[in-house]
Amino acid sequence: MNYMITTKQLTKKYKSFVAVNNVSLNIRKGSIYGFLGPNGAGKSTTMKMLLGLTAPTKGSFTIDGKQFPNDRLSILKEVGSFIESPSFYANLTGRENLDIIRRILGLPRDSVTDALELVGLSEFGGRLAKKYSLGMKQRLGLAGALLGRPPVLILDEPTNGLDPSGIHEIRNLIKSLPGLYDCTVLISSHMLSEIELMADDIGILNHGRLLFEGSLDELRKNALQSGFAADHLEDMFLSMVDKDNAGRKRRAKL
Amino acid sequence: MKTFTMELRKEKRTGIIPFMLAVGILGAAYAFAFFLVQKDTLLNLPLAPMDVLLTQMYGVIMVLNMFGIIVAACMIYNMEFKGNAVKKMYMLPVRVPVMYFCKFLILTTMLFLAMVFQNLALTRIGLTDLPQGSFEFETQLAFAAYTFITSMPVLSLMVFLSSRSPNMWVPLGIGVAGFLSGMALASPDNVLLLIHPFVIMLKPAAAMNIQPNTIVVVFSLVETAGFLFFGLWAAEYLRYE
Repeated sequence: MNYMITTKQLTKKYKSFVAVNNVSLNIRKGSIYGFLGPNGAGKSTTMKMLLGLTAPTKGSFTIDGKQFPNDRLSILKEVGSFIESPSFYANLTGRENLDIIRRILGLPRDSVTDALELVGLSEFGGRLAKKYSLGMKQRLGLAGALLGRPPVLILDEPTNGLDPSGIHEIRNLIKSLPGLYDCTVLISSHMLSEIELMADDIGILNHGRLLFEGSLDELRKNALQSGFAADHLEDMFLSMVDKDNAGRKRRAKL
Repeated sequence: MKTFTMELRKEKRTGIIPFMLAVGILGAAYAFAFFLVQKDTLLNLPLAPMDVLLTQMYGVIMVLNMFGIIVAACMIYNMEFKGNAVKKMYMLPVRVPVMYFCKFLILTTMLFLAMVFQNLALTRIGLTDLPQGSFEFETQLAFAAYTFITSMPVLSLMVFLSSRSPNMWVPLGIGVAGFLSGMALASPDNVLLLIHPFVIMLKPAAAMNIQPNTIVVVFSLVETAGFLFFGLWAAEYLRYE
């Protein structure tokens, strides 16, 4: 199998708290990988480690065959990212913000227009980023990730703050990316229905541990074998997380 | 060069460049106004004309420069933290220490330009208002270099502090505290007090002659390089979490 992102026993500890516990992910090239988990499960921390924002306590990972931290700069050249909340220069316009990123990546001028068009911000490119609404800031963050159409996209809750039509639009955009230019997408979201509609593979994280990794069909089979409802991703996700939480509680009591 | 140009683009609408130019123009205007009003009193002081020109006005000019450095250093990093932009920089193939160094260079250049304005005003006063033949350009140049070098530790420290504090009021508060404590400690002739970067910047203003003090220069260079090194190291290793 041709994997774009692989992690081996990735672990992050903050003093005695284990945020990510021996997580081994295998993300296929050209696929959309939905990363699910309740709040504090370790999704964002895992993504931050993949981007070098925080150092792993243990374990390693490769992106497109490149190892971190030795190939940090060449990895970051290939990865478009959006983590937690949009990051931007408040004193610059949307277009100027993207131009800064474009210059860093050494991309042609028209890539800014392309990214603004992709996220539907062309009309507002000349407005100061600090005057953007939350949804527009979110789109600007996405445009920054999509700039130059990178082969890998790491998106953490990219539809937060968007209205229903915005969510629909961004979902369709993300869904179209692998077909458009063979892009690999790692996306986390609380909106399970969204993930169900766009992801090829799923990873479920709870309390830092990877409970499941595989395709939606495999998840369905797994749920049926365990006697869980398998109609919707939400049912399967909740059953799996509840079972894990109950097991943790039992172990804690012992 | 690419990062330097990019950093300059980022400064758009932050007001740092006009602010530092205003500091220089204000310092120059103060020198003109002060000499215009106090010319006779100043020239009757028991000091050499060049000492009068360079030491009697430097106190206020230095305070202007010091506050200029403090505020500009806070502003230059505040824009990185304001919209969480620095987080994006860490996710891009950019060397953050180079970004830090470019910000340091921009502030140094702006301070240099501000001091050029101020010294041009002093040159003009020296040529027109000092007794015939008493103006010495080399002496002024040496004093200008001395005051620039002694200003650098504060600049280096302030860039370092503002790069580590997402809350702009923290480095601003430390800067004001540094100024006040520096004022209190500038006069005593204790070499150990030169560890305090604000004391170093105040030294030329506290002295009654214009001869550069070698020990002060050495301390200035060491502290400037030291704070710059800490800043670069922190930018490389103390990542956004």
